[in-house]
Amino acid sequence: MYEGAHARPDGPSTVARVVQTARAYGFEGVVVRNHDDSSAEYDADRIEAEYGIDVVDGIEIRADSPDQASGSVGHYRSSKTILAIHGGTNEMNRFAVENEKVDVLAHPVAGSGDVNHVLVKAAVENGVRLEFNLGAVLRKSGGRRVRTIQSLRKLRELVDYYDAPYVVSADPASHLEFRAPRELRALGEQLGVSGAWIEAGLEEWRVLAERNRTIQSDSFIEPGVERGHYEEES
Amino acid sequence: MKHLPKHLRPRWRYLAVELETWPDATIDRRAFQRDLWYAGQNLLGDPGSADAELSVVRFEFGDGIGESIVKVRRGETESARAALACIDRIDGFPVGIRVTGISGTIRAAEEKFLGKRGQVPAERNVVFENAERVAVGRNATADIRLDDAFVGATDLDLV
Repeated sequence: MYEGAHARPDGPSTVARVVQTARAYGFEGVVVRNHDDSSAEYDADRIEAEYGIDVVDGIEIRADSPDQASGSVGHYRSSKTILAIHGGTNEMNRFAVENEKVDVLAHPVAGSGDVNHVLVKAAVENGVRLEFNLGAVLRKSGGRRVRTIQSLRKLRELVDYYDAPYVVSADPASHLEFRAPRELRALGEQLGVSGAWIEAGLEEWRVLAERNRTIQSDSFIEPGVERGHYEEES
Repeated sequence: MKHLPKHLRPRWRYLAVELETWPDATIDRRAFQRDLWYAGQNLLGDPGSADAELSVVRFEFGDGIGESIVKVRRGETESARAALACIDRIDGFPVGIRVTGISGTIRAAEEKFLGKRGQVPAERNVVFENAERVAVGRNATADIRLDDAFVGATDLDLV
């Protein structure tokens, strides 16, 4: 199970600290998805070697308009393993689900954003993962939390109906905001989602990372065609 | 009142809980209990939190880390776990919180699941982002004091 986290300068903890905490909490990998205007500098290989879990190079593109986001998507697609769009407005949600280069639409129902059947169908078609973001359930209270839970429920019903791809995350911005997978499972059950559903969403980050690494590797030419190893004729 | 015969007493489960926060935070048992009950009530509602019990029976805190044992009615451990996960701050200090294990007795919970983090934290001078700073850390972690906040780092960031 993987977690998609923010590290310094998006939050107060460095990538190394975030990864160390993730390992202690039982995650098998971390997707570092800092926003594009505050990207983290780190040595993934060294951190992987030290802590023994996978560190995935990701990015979350935060833009005011689809035009601006479109430029960033083109710019980062080839260098980042996982590319997410900072959702939360109807305009950006729509841009993300209609773009097959995007892997994840982060927090689509945060802020003024909303989802409907049209967006979810587009997400299915383009393979864009909708994020089931538990951050506000864990860290907000009162009316805002109630509204978040309502919109998460709507999102889950749509995702289930259309069998849309999704990821689950607690969206930690520091090592203190991590919560262990079992805690997230338990929380999911309180929200009416099965533990297995939550686990599949955490696992989806890994699936995405592995798929994109294959696609981006040098030996990959197109689906079904790969450069192999051949003996040279003597 | 005469206590209940053994077969009628409720069965308890004890959750071993680890807390973590910044080095300048001070958290006491009362604050933890209050925020745990709040979290329980907010997430599970009054009937749910009454069922779960959620009372803090052991609590220790010092130098930015804490350990606790939370008493829960058997069969409600998962809802208690969810309530614990929703504690974001205690007394206004942001905390990381994790259930390390569940046992049927306090003693087993303490022996099996707590006291593993060891090492008293030490203050040291470090170089972080080309400036000299004071860091507090244990087990290769380092909480570095910047002007108005802390940065969570590890030894890997300090070379």
